[in-house]
Amino acid sequence: MQHYGNLHGSFVRACVVGALSLGAIPATGEAQESKALVVGRAMDFNSLDPSRSFCDTCQIYLSSVYDTLVALGADNQSLQPGLAESWTVNDAQTEFEFTIRDGAKFADGTSVEASDVVWTFQRMKNLKGSPSFLMDGMISIEARDPRTVRISLESSNSEFLNKLSAPYAGIMNAEVAAAGGAIADETAAEQDQAENWFLSNSAGSGPFKLVSYSPEAELRLARNDEYWGEKPYFAEVVISQIQNAVGQAQALESGAIDVAMQVDADTAASIRSDDVTVEIVPSYNFLYIAFAPGAKGMADVLTPEVREALTLAINYDEMVEFTVGGNGAKQAAPIPNGFPGTANLPLREQNVEKAKQMLADAGFEDGLSIMAGYPNDNVYGVDINIMMQKVQQDLKAINVDLELRPLTYAVWREELYGDGLPMTGLYFAPDYYGAGQYPAYFAMMPGTTWLARSGLDDQETLVNPAAADLYKQALASSGDEAEAIYEKIGLEMMKDNMIIPMVSPNLVLAYRNDIKGVRYSACCNLPLAELTRD
Amino acid sequence: MLRYVIKRMITIPFLLLGVASVAFVLSQMTKGDPLAALLPERMMSNPEVVAAVKAEWGLDQPLPVRYGIYIGNLLQGDMGTSFTTRRPVAQDIAERLPATLELVIAAMIVGSSVGIGIGLLSARFKNSALDIGTRGFALLGSSVPIFWSGLIFLYIFTVRLDWAPGTGRLDARSTPPPDITGMYTIDALLSGQMTTFIEALSHLLLPALILGWTVTGIVARLVRSSLLDSLGQDYARTARAKGAPERVVLLNHALPNALIPVLTILGFTFAYLITGAVLTEAIFSWPGIGSYAVTASRSLDYPAIGGVTIVGATAFLLANLVTDIAYAWANPKIKVSQ
Repeated sequence: MQHYGNLHGSFVRACVVGALSLGAIPATGEAQESKALVVGRAMDFNSLDPSRSFCDTCQIYLSSVYDTLVALGADNQSLQPGLAESWTVNDAQTEFEFTIRDGAKFADGTSVEASDVVWTFQRMKNLKGSPSFLMDGMISIEARDPRTVRISLESSNSEFLNKLSAPYAGIMNAEVAAAGGAIADETAAEQDQAENWFLSNSAGSGPFKLVSYSPEAELRLARNDEYWGEKPYFAEVVISQIQNAVGQAQALESGAIDVAMQVDADTAASIRSDDVTVEIVPSYNFLYIAFAPGAKGMADVLTPEVREALTLAINYDEMVEFTVGGNGAKQAAPIPNGFPGTANLPLREQNVEKAKQMLADAGFEDGLSIMAGYPNDNVYGVDINIMMQKVQQDLKAINVDLELRPLTYAVWREELYGDGLPMTGLYFAPDYYGAGQYPAYFAMMPGTTWLARSGLDDQETLVNPAAADLYKQALASSGDEAEAIYEKIGLEMMKDNMIIPMVSPNLVLAYRNDIKGVRYSACCNLPLAELTRD
Repeated sequence: MLRYVIKRMITIPFLLLGVASVAFVLSQMTKGDPLAALLPERMMSNPEVVAAVKAEWGLDQPLPVRYGIYIGNLLQGDMGTSFTTRRPVAQDIAERLPATLELVIAAMIVGSSVGIGIGLLSARFKNSALDIGTRGFALLGSSVPIFWSGLIFLYIFTVRLDWAPGTGRLDARSTPPPDITGMYTIDALLSGQMTTFIEALSHLLLPALILGWTVTGIVARLVRSSLLDSLGQDYARTARAKGAPERVVLLNHALPNALIPVLTILGFTFAYLITGAVLTEAIFSWPGIGSYAVTASRSLDYPAIGGVTIVGATAFLLANLVTDIAYAWANPKIKVSQ
């Protein structure tokens, strides 16, 4: 009996059977049913080159195709051996030595060697691509023998191992990538021509390898038969482009896809199929508002007192209801709940009377007007417009008129780096498990992104020296000691009142009942190699 | 006629160059940071990374230099590299255009045939319940937003009734047919892959019906009004006076004349849908030119915007030419200017 593939719908089946029964059309059976895993997703790839890419879908792809030296465990906290079967760190957290796993091979069958690690990290640093910050502070890297790599940092960094668990730090087959035009030396930023090559080739040692990629259509992976670890269940994985949450839910119900991770809680509630499992789990993503005292006309307005008053006016409990229907959590500081140092941070509470008093004390008895410009996007199930409307509504209670300006992303960026935006709304997802990435980006310390975005000519007035000192201490310590310091940093960032988390939305994991092993990973989103089908 | 066609064809490259120049200047003048597509938000504050990316993509050059490079490359057939897909724009378009053409051709076949049929019925049974019903159906087609009808149709026919497959051009687990024309139905047929053909056709059906419904509305109303106009003309009265039945008057005398203005609309609609089937492509995850254009414009992807503009302009210029030729063919009284 001829098998006609996985065609959905009785209409289609009727067409097939009807046509064949007439004997008019010979079926060749070329569209064979396969057991491929299909993930529906709005793909946001900016590149497939590990040293250039930086996005949520990139994390899924890279962690499936490129192994890292160390890997984040299933508990989303502990580090486990990856391509490195062991490692040592000196007390000062400046010297790291890794022993490459014996028998680890790239997808082409060649052995993973220390020289590949050296080449990969040098390229990441020299290419000055999006993830190059992971190699910040690396002053030397050497292959001591074919299986031993030593990395030296210019200063203590207890976060370095965590950084190496980020999917962007996946190790490449130097010879293969170089043949594709990749360059690792100091000329990489100008001379490397491999980006196009990486769109149709991969050079990793992970459980899968790239088969094909068609932007905004699909990405196909095949099992890497040379994989050193437990072979993945699925011989083929397809990430299929489905732009919106409703489309993903419908495709899931119809069986066209197996897994969806971008279905918001409201849409998930509309799924009626008994064949679909919906799990709602906390995520490490969060959305926040940020102030820029240096934005045009704001120098004497967004003072520390005014910023504190504004943050006191917001009803954070209602914000979680308003934005995600209760499917989320409040977050104290710009370090996600569950990350080191956050367990005991006090959550923000609304205090309208105090806010009004503080505004009056600051000389704004009659209120004030502020403009908020933000990307007009829906991210992690949160419509930023809705979030900002809630902020506007709450600020109205203290006589603050918030002018909302939803902008396209490109315009938002131009305005942010132009006259500045007094207030904005944005989002953040972790690059790896580790609290250090947050002060490095959000804290009012020299060199951080948000200090620069404050827009003030004299940024010293905003610098929080305590945060900077604590951050140095945190990087020089580890374990419980580091966790305690990150808590203090969190408190300092809360005192600064520059970055105010609004909501940490839960993540909806929706999948067909026969798919097992679906989980959310802090570094990698969805570990494809762990999935199986009943 | 041949001289006329050759003359028009010769002017097309010059017109396209003008269109490309205007598109380049306008997109450069548009407010927004082109680095949005090239750099993740978190990297924007790293001056080293920003400088490296600007240099890599030529954004550190003054506008006149960039324009010169763009036009120079364009004259050699190089539309540049997309900021978002990181691939040559020509390659992106070559992959997406067949998908859009397949969808638009199917929608045009559905829309024009149903639209002409409805227009005929409406004109023949003017002001009857049938006329009101079919006009209502046509009106709905051009009034209901595609993002709504698409999702509802998907829910009803795919999720609830299981009559139609889901989104995309093929089931995600299936392998596309060998690339010959890029249109899956045609390629599957040419390769003798009948199962793939039927699968591709079934995936095409729902988006083509939705998109075709919008065409139906336009065509039906035009055919109806044209037919009613023609039926009131002297030649129709003469035919009736000579004893011709109403069916003959309608089909043999009035319809050929009524279809002439429809040709213009069909040509224009076809060209419009090449870049205008955005919502249908988005709802049905159809990787065509429309969704490419939206992504490009949202991220200020100058090369891709330029490429899509050239494709759209080409479609309009060719559609105009074909419409003019069809006009002359359909109505011998009309002569094209030499």
